[in-house]
Amino acid sequence: MQPLEDIKTKIREALPELECVIGWEKSWTPLTATPLFMRAPEDVDRLIWGPFNVNNPATYLTGFKGKKIGILVKGCDSRSVVQLLQENLVKREDLTIFGLPCKGVLDVSKVVAKIGDPGMVKSAELNGDVLQVATNKGATDIPFSEVMADKCVACQYHNAIISDHFAGDPLPPSMKPDPAEEQLAALAALAPAELFEHWAGVMDKCIRCYACRNACPMCVCRDHCIAQSRDPHWISQEHTIRDKIMFQMIHALHLAGRCTECGECQRACPVDIPILALRKKLNRVVKETFDYQAGIDSKATPPLFTFQVEEANINERGW
Amino acid sequence: MQTSKFLAEASLGAWLDELAAKAELIVPKRDGNAVVFGPYDPDVPVELSQEATAPPKSIVFPPCEELMHFTQGKDPEDPTKPLLQLEETMPSGRKVVFGARPCGARGFTIFDPVFGSGEIRDPYYEARRADTAFITLACAESGAACFCHWVGSGPADATGSDVLLIPVEGGYVAEAITEKGAELVASSLLTEADANADAVEAFRKKVTEALEPAPALDAAPESLLAIFDDMDFWGAISSKCISCGACTYLCPTCYCFNFTDESRGMEGKRLRTWDNCMSFQFTQEASGHNPRPTKGHRLKNRVGHKFSYYPGLHEGAFACCGCGRCIKSCPAGVDIREIVLAAMAHAKSAGKEQAHD
Amino acid sequence: MTKMPNPYLPDMATIIETVQETHNIKTFRVRIDNPERMAAFSFQPGQVGQLSAFGTGEATFVINSPPTRMDYLQFSVMRAGEVTSRLHTLSAGDKVGVRAPLGNHFPYESMKGKNVVFVGGGIGMAPLRTLMLYMLDNRKDYGKITLLYGAKSPDDMAFSAELPEWLSRDDLDATLTIDREVPGWEHNVGLIPNVLREIGPDPDNCFAVTCGPPIMIKFTLQALKDLGFADDQIITTLEKRMKCGVGLCGRCNIGSKYVCVDGPVFSYAELKDLPNEL
Repeated sequence: MQPLEDIKTKIREALPELECVIGWEKSWTPLTATPLFMRAPEDVDRLIWGPFNVNNPATYLTGFKGKKIGILVKGCDSRSVVQLLQENLVKREDLTIFGLPCKGVLDVSKVVAKIGDPGMVKSAELNGDVLQVATNKGATDIPFSEVMADKCVACQYHNAIISDHFAGDPLPPSMKPDPAEEQLAALAALAPAELFEHWAGVMDKCIRCYACRNACPMCVCRDHCIAQSRDPHWISQEHTIRDKIMFQMIHALHLAGRCTECGECQRACPVDIPILALRKKLNRVVKETFDYQAGIDSKATPPLFTFQVEEANINERGW
Repeated sequence: MQTSKFLAEASLGAWLDELAAKAELIVPKRDGNAVVFGPYDPDVPVELSQEATAPPKSIVFPPCEELMHFTQGKDPEDPTKPLLQLEETMPSGRKVVFGARPCGARGFTIFDPVFGSGEIRDPYYEARRADTAFITLACAESGAACFCHWVGSGPADATGSDVLLIPVEGGYVAEAITEKGAELVASSLLTEADANADAVEAFRKKVTEALEPAPALDAAPESLLAIFDDMDFWGAISSKCISCGACTYLCPTCYCFNFTDESRGMEGKRLRTWDNCMSFQFTQEASGHNPRPTKGHRLKNRVGHKFSYYPGLHEGAFACCGCGRCIKSCPAGVDIREIVLAAMAHAKSAGKEQAHD
Repeated sequence: MTKMPNPYLPDMATIIETVQETHNIKTFRVRIDNPERMAAFSFQPGQVGQLSAFGTGEATFVINSPPTRMDYLQFSVMRAGEVTSRLHTLSAGDKVGVRAPLGNHFPYESMKGKNVVFVGGGIGMAPLRTLMLYMLDNRKDYGKITLLYGAKSPDDMAFSAELPEWLSRDDLDATLTIDREVPGWEHNVGLIPNVLREIGPDPDNCFAVTCGPPIMIKFTLQALKDLGFADDQIITTLEKRMKCGVGLCGRCNIGSKYVCVDGPVFSYAELKDLPNEL
């Protein structure tokens, strides 16, 4: 745990110049950490690093506009930071970025599918490759590979893409296939009517809480969201599938080519609706059309922010 | 006065069929990792192993309901005059909600003094409330986010339920709490429960003793008012909040709502929808002024309402049933227990500082 | 079984007349369509109503006509958002919904036998109008009545058709003021709090009733305190985003008080007891 201690030292050194440093600490449940806002040196004692650090701390960055802020990131979190920098939503000189190598985080919904009510979990620990979970019904050993988040299985960026302080040995990219391809292929194989039935079915339990929207680091509309706006009046306040799907469509389109697939939207959903697929699909369309992936190169311009007179992959004239 | 009957596990399905014949029966069902309330279907298993993800609040207080509809037209006696017809849309239909936990039913006892008493009453709420009965299941164990006993409730609390089911060997003891409940347990499928009296007693004892001692929250209402102006405290403690609405919409006691007119052509309706005080627009005034411009202000209001303002108006009752859904569903792990305890500690230490001055 | 009254259902009403007061303030005079309801309608000065522009929504306005003049109910609307913009497109003959009276009222009973100073800014004159006219219609019940009404410019003054009458009445001491000199303006020039200090009303046996934009209220309060008015002698009426108007939707609270039920009229003494969340 020496790298974590090294980072803690660096954070303590940087604290006096910063509004705070965002990291993670233990929460009410052993299965998930909770964001930690370190303001005083003793706050840093509570910092943890491990498979339970599921939140994306980049979500909070735009709320600290104009202030100097520190952030500890996993590789995927750093992609959100890079994307925010590309779009000038945060300034590089305002950020102090700390990084540690990440072996992957837990997908709590996969654990819950195996052991039931997360409220009944008494302890959870990663021992080597095994997640040991104890509930009121007894202890279970689950191979970590079975409950790791999908994004971690094929992760190419286990280490912060940009950082001011990095501790520990960087990890190489994963060589496994991305589970997303199979999931998206299964959806693509459905006939249009079946596909619509799938989405209508999963959106039925949506309660329009907008946790998916608010958890997203790239969401810029924030307090001026179409979901609550009467001008333009894109969706009504009725709890119909039509309005709920319309919101998801608009949100996914707003994120096309900008979403780094951190998965916070799906993780945040209190009723477990699998909405990440919509965003992944649009990202793949952007990748095919513009050969671009969000959050990799802080100097790049996202393709939907610019245009080429002659697009390489869009056949405008040659019918 | 209280009737107790015994329901064998094997008779549960038949009893549900009987109940479904007399009213719309709503039960918890599994949908992936979530457990949601929906219409009873004899072919779909009823999920009783865990607290439902969302409480049965939406049965009596729907997330969206039509209050009235209006139609524009012309006065038939004078076509130069516009005619606007306005009609209220009242709900009707008896419902029985089976399988909620005590916290889910207790939530309505927080609504009742606001919506169903005094000079101004909400007829939509009252109609649904009168038409809905709750058969709740006592909790055999508490989860890490459960804190019902902190706010005067408990795993076998009957407050707000019409029938309380206590799990015993071979089935349940069904305690009829109200007249509605007595009617529901009058089925021939339920038998005498005298033999189970000890088992019920043992259950109550077991679940109560398993609880960690609850901290005293008596100082909460005053403490929250005492630190109202301390935006450093509220700013810091609200840092991780993402201002969504998950806590509010999943809370059995949250009742804030909004009116919206939606129209199409010559017809329209006025809707009442859930609203949430965590959103920026909640108190946004047309002038541009917002009394609660930051997350800190809004979280202060939510916690303040539940643990200070509401108790101040309603004989000390907290507007919280301790179900822990806000904690479990919060994407950032905001824990209202932590906030209330921190507020009390902060008020105490600030008070001591003042005493020294 | 008697049908329970529905506090959310508006009365259908017709606009009988409109007055374009300023570029963004329009007055509506409405009558409730149902003749029994209109005849039985009663309210006290300071109470408000929710006006419905069906299809758009509702917003809160003070009933600014006095209960002593019941030919119509008068509401003056400043165009600011969606509902007010829609209302501004309506004219005589159009239908609106009225849910009234809501909220509390000015303590006109305790003001009997006392002097009253009204200090209004812009649209803030509306709630003062209902109380002032009520008092003038019950003149012998009240002592000296003083009005200070200010606006940015003459074009921003509401109720201009009535101002000549107010200025000429000998049972009302009225002063008008605008922020900056404008050619042709014959009355005072100066910010309301400064003009108030010049007038220097005597706080003895006197109430001050004030309403206007927040910045004006802030400095007027300061001026009133400096002139010697006690906290419970100063009355104001608050604005909040409202929806149900009957204390149920949980939105307009300041601590445990609901502005739509425990207000919108508050004395400064009462405001000081409330948490700081105006």
